Amino acid sequence: MLREPANQVSTKAPVLWAAGATFQALWVPVILVLALVFDWFDVPLWLWPLYAVLAVAYIVAMPMVRYRIHRWESTDTAVYTQTGWLSRERRIAPMSRVQTVDFEQSAIGRVLGLASVTVTTASAAGPLVISMIDKPVADRLVDDLTRRTEAEAGDAT
Amino acid sequence: MSQPPVPGPAAGLPPGLPPGVEPFPWRRLDPRMLLVHPVLELLKFLPVLVGIFVLGSSGGGGYWQLIGVGIPVALGVVRFLTTTYRITPEQIELQRGLIGRKVLTARLDRVRAVEVTSSPIHRILGLAKVEIGTASGAKDDDDKFALDGLPLEQARQMRVALLHRTDPRPSSDAVAGATGSDDVPDEDLVLLEFDRRWVRYAPLTSSGNVIAAGVMAVLGQFSQNIGERLFDEVDAFSWIKDRPLGTVIPIAVVSLLVVFLVLGGLFSVLGYLITNWGFTLLRDARGRTFHVRRGLLTTTETSLERERVRGLEVVEPLGLRLVGAARLAAIVTGVKASESGSAQLVPPAPREVIDATGAAVIDVAEPLRLPLVQHGPAARRRRYTRALLGAAAPPAVAVVLALATPADWWVVLPTLALFPIALLLARDRYRRLGHALSDAYLVVRSGSLRGRRDLLQRSGIIGWNLHQSWFQRRAGLVTLVATTAAGRQAYAAHDIPEGLAVHLADEAVPGLITQFLA
Repeated sequence: MLREPANQVSTKAPVLWAAGATFQALWVPVILVLALVFDWFDVPLWLWPLYAVLAVAYIVAMPMVRYRIHRWESTDTAVYTQTGWLSRERRIAPMSRVQTVDFEQSAIGRVLGLASVTVTTASAAGPLVISMIDKPVADRLVDDLTRRTEAEAGDAT
Repeated sequence: MSQPPVPGPAAGLPPGLPPGVEPFPWRRLDPRMLLVHPVLELLKFLPVLVGIFVLGSSGGGGYWQLIGVGIPVALGVVRFLTTTYRITPEQIELQRGLIGRKVLTARLDRVRAVEVTSSPIHRILGLAKVEIGTASGAKDDDDKFALDGLPLEQARQMRVALLHRTDPRPSSDAVAGATGSDDVPDEDLVLLEFDRRWVRYAPLTSSGNVIAAGVMAVLGQFSQNIGERLFDEVDAFSWIKDRPLGTVIPIAVVSLLVVFLVLGGLFSVLGYLITNWGFTLLRDARGRTFHVRRGLLTTTETSLERERVRGLEVVEPLGLRLVGAARLAAIVTGVKASESGSAQLVPPAPREVIDATGAAVIDVAEPLRLPLVQHGPAARRRRYTRALLGAAAPPAVAVVLALATPADWWVVLPTLALFPIALLLARDRYRRLGHALSDAYLVVRSGSLRGRRDLLQRSGIIGWNLHQSWFQRRAGLVTLVATTAAGRQAYAAHDIPEGLAVHLADEAVPGLITQFLA
């Protein structure tokens, strides 16, 4: 059996995921309130508590599950990532076939000190994205990857 | 390379040139092109010309007509006079334009593909257009490296010169049929020749149905008009006018279906003939390049470097499979993703032809015939659940309709026919699901209606994706995807038991995932 990658993402990641989920979950109540105000359609009373329960469950459970699943690992010869929530995607690329290593930090990421590293191969199918890792970890990872891929010869196709 | 008129680097530096003379002179296109361009330009100007002649005959201005014909001819002459090209040992250059001068340069070692096309006009004049695909540069239409109008023989020699400039390599990878010696003129080896009996497979592909659907949609636009006239004025449908709706609808559906099938068959045969007539697959004597020649009206010759071939795709949709046919494409790698893709090697043809040609292209027959490992009971259950769930949707809708609207209960009946179809489909889908590993190839097969069998070179695999949906995780299955720089970029083995998938990935590319095994 394939084991999980060794490293977890930053402990701040679940907080960010929960924040994102809250933002998503707010759309439905906004539309419902608008529907009430402008009298588009009737909103049954039982819908409110039902939606609240589902939304809270999603906002609490999803980041916890996701935090357990999102993992990554980089060895001398390969990069290995695992992402997902309900589904699970594992990607493995040999170091000798790595073409580019991209470092990226969003505006929120800069505030929280988070970054993401994207590793691509010559295939258009699926770059390996290691997101929501602490900036120092990301810096070290990029250095490692650059050094290791430089050591490999060939055109990586 | 003994042919004297080859404008290639093999011609070398002509000795004893007086100083100041270009060693690699600029050449013009074939003067016969003067006939092609005006005709093409005339075709482009056709709407204008029609206008001119119509106006001319009614208005009586005689000179206008002459100008109308003269402009395109003049444009053609100008284009011929201002377009020149030359090949130096390092690069090929193309110069054009009267006022805005433009020089396109391509390094010879970056030439990836050479395509030789001849439209019907070209063919009458014995000409061809040479298009050169390079590993760099814009894909802008204006920047396309095209020499429109060389004698066909010269175009072919140029292709050889461009693709094989790195020549005096000992042909160790040249296979059976190679002449070996340089003294013997190189003979291309014919791997496949078109057999006109293959046309019978054309209606079984879906291409014609698309056109037929388009034609019927267009007809539909006029149908109301035509229909009303037939109904009221001609009275063609008097026999059906007074029938109840329950008999009219089936008659209408059946006749529409018949028209659709007949049109679809007709168009697919036509399309098959136009694109595949004279389909020939050649390998040059040293086994470095494949050439595909095809076309009824416009002939195309595409070249494919052998070292870019990473595998084969046997495409076997249900229709073709039922009569023991398939088509074959090569999995091709490019420097950029936009250049890689699949190159058709055999049009729809009998399975034996596919296997033989495929074996000749990759030099081994084994991966094409290898018995496949099936994916087990969990994968089988998944095929049936998915098919039955899909088939259950229309009856459910019909039941709701019957309950909620005054529609009769009989609307549910025809939807029930979906269940046996779904069962057959699930059975076939499971039977087709499989994978195998040969010395050099990973073989994956899946799909029923759009069935396919992909053979991917193990050395061409540049990574693995293991995808599991929530349902797959519960069933202990995984979709194993081999990523590659060629063809579709990803080739999947669907719904393999987890352990088997990991074992397969570990065996196909030794040493990569071993370190992550628990």
